[in-house]
Amino acid sequence: MKRSRLSLLLALIALTSAAQAADQVPLKLELPKPLFAGTPRPIQLPNLEKPRSGKRPDLMVPAGTVNLSKGKTVTSSDPLPVIGELTFLTDGDKSGTDGTYVELGPTPQWVQIDLGASAKVAAIAVWHFHSQARVYHDVVVQVSNDKDFKTGVTTVYNNDDDNSSKLGKGKDLAYIENFEGRLFEAKGAAGRYVRLYSNGNTSDELNHYCEVEVHGSVAK
Amino acid sequence: MLPMFAPFSRWLPLALVALAALWLRTHDLARRPMHADEANQAIKVGDLLEHGRYAFDPRDHHGPTLYYAALPIAWARGQTTIASLDETTVRLVPALAGTLGVLLLFALASPLGHWPALAAAALMAVAPASVYYSRYFVQETLLVTFFLAALVCAQRWWRTGRSSWIIAAGACAGLMQATKASAPLFAASALIALAVVVRARPASARLTRDLVLALSAALVVAALFYSSFGTHITGLHDAIATYTHAGGRAATGTSGHEKPFWYYLSLFGWYREGGLLWQQLAFALLAAAGFVVAFATRQKLLRWTALYTLLVVIALSLTPYKTPWHAVHLVPGFAILAAGALAALPFRPLALAVASGVLFLQINQTHLAAFLRPADARNPYAYVHSSPDVRKIRALADSALARTPGATIRVISEEYWPLPWYLRAVPAASVGYWSAPPADCDGALVIASATHAVAVRARLHGDYHESYLGLRPGFLCVVFTPVTTLP
Repeated sequence: MKRSRLSLLLALIALTSAAQAADQVPLKLELPKPLFAGTPRPIQLPNLEKPRSGKRPDLMVPAGTVNLSKGKTVTSSDPLPVIGELTFLTDGDKSGTDGTYVELGPTPQWVQIDLGASAKVAAIAVWHFHSQARVYHDVVVQVSNDKDFKTGVTTVYNNDDDNSSKLGKGKDLAYIENFEGRLFEAKGAAGRYVRLYSNGNTSDELNHYCEVEVHGSVAK
Repeated sequence: MLPMFAPFSRWLPLALVALAALWLRTHDLARRPMHADEANQAIKVGDLLEHGRYAFDPRDHHGPTLYYAALPIAWARGQTTIASLDETTVRLVPALAGTLGVLLLFALASPLGHWPALAAAALMAVAPASVYYSRYFVQETLLVTFFLAALVCAQRWWRTGRSSWIIAAGACAGLMQATKASAPLFAASALIALAVVVRARPASARLTRDLVLALSAALVVAALFYSSFGTHITGLHDAIATYTHAGGRAATGTSGHEKPFWYYLSLFGWYREGGLLWQQLAFALLAAAGFVVAFATRQKLLRWTALYTLLVVIALSLTPYKTPWHAVHLVPGFAILAAGALAALPFRPLALAVASGVLFLQINQTHLAAFLRPADARNPYAYVHSSPDVRKIRALADSALARTPGATIRVISEEYWPLPWYLRAVPAASVGYWSAPPADCDGALVIASATHAVAVRARLHGDYHESYLGLRPGFLCVVFTPVTTLP
């Protein structure tokens, strides 16, 4: 009797897992055309991002996940960018050509997207600048219901290895920008606001964004 | 106006132009990271300063005046070693020379009248190329200033016939030659323009003697510098041999610096680059109007300037080898021509309004080029410029050597300038440079180019933390920092 109950329990767990797996779907991203004239040289290093050959592996997200950030309000630590508009972050144009990216000033800067309502964030895709091989420093991505990011902050990604941005030391990997952008897994982090930090890049002191997509579902 | 105030009203504007030129050229000089060429030359200054050593290298370097000119500034600032030398000291050389150049242009343009000469000086004082390269430790601004000084002295000699002026002009020509091998291009253009435009004879009664004096002064001055003031006689031979290298580089079109014919003129045009607008159209149009005025009037200086500038534009444009710092040679001519156009306007208020508008637009561009985006790849004057990341090297090196005293900092890269400048305070025994990965790559800090990073990683022992550092746009390095203390 006990054995049959155990078998039944295991079968139920298996069925539930299968059902959950069936709810997971690959996140579909629309990618811009590559802008590199040449291919950046691969760097095979354990503490840095390894180069990948072929297609980026699918990131599985819950069924019903949508782009929540399209057309949403964007604010920034640099409210008056010299080049571009903050609206470029969520306008759907990630081509990376002139006139499609916003340029924020030097020193650490952040951009913040107001999703309009609290959401369960599955993934965040970011295109900083992809017409040249460069690495953005101290990239930190956070989700919160507090627009000032003082409480209830979930850090999705942090590669600030020396804590120069004073947001805590990060252990994530630095990466070279390319046309695929960077896909951060948010694992259902809850929040209405998504904030992204950076601190210049390997080419200049400035901070750029072509597009940011926040994929998830509105919290019920 | 009271007569006693007349000199003030006449000379105060010039003083203000000179002060503006000085401020634009000296304010916050250390802000921009060192370009590879600046760093390389600053290291040579350090060697001269600390060890008194200098030997002219005809292959990859220009003349010696830049290095020697840095010495008195370093001494005045209490810097006697390469470690104590800083960006401000070396950049003060072109900055002060550039300011002097503005005053010399005023003197040269004085035959146009006081106000047009003042306008010419003001236009040069705020010109983006002039300001940018007066804040940049390369030879070009020094060459322009020596050239203007030679012209002013020659102009005075022409009028007075006094030998001292022609000797001074010759000495300035010698300084030009001791600054850069391209000096004869500008001297020859000036002489051709003079021969075409001016028919009258100079005031000197002993023309041959004066020309011999000038030539002698030029040769003596150039020889003193190229021979390192008599301590390196081979430098005299190398001063001539440099033309083999420079000529080959300029003519063969294999240097990697080849650009289209219209490149220099385009710098004075209108275009967008990565969202930034670069334009000097108003200045260029005013100069073009001055070109027309030059041939519509009998003003000799204006005609000479028009022809000289045209010759230089053609010569520079026909040379396949082009770099943006050569644009500074066009600015004095354009400024005089623009001043000539202003002088031709029928009403002074109109001339003042046009001059103010052009100056405003030029200041705006200078602000963008020299202060807002001085090392930006979109800045036409920031040519293959170092990334601001390079300034992190000093702190990384200091902390690495503090962690592991006695260990070596290794730079393993096919290109590494300006890193030696940022590592100049590190004892020579503690830093090494390799163009390919050596057998032993371990060190207190290992900086490898992206090309060599894989091979370097394979040869490292123990745990290293890794991060990226940009040498310049598109050229990435990987910085390996030992996690554990080296044995």
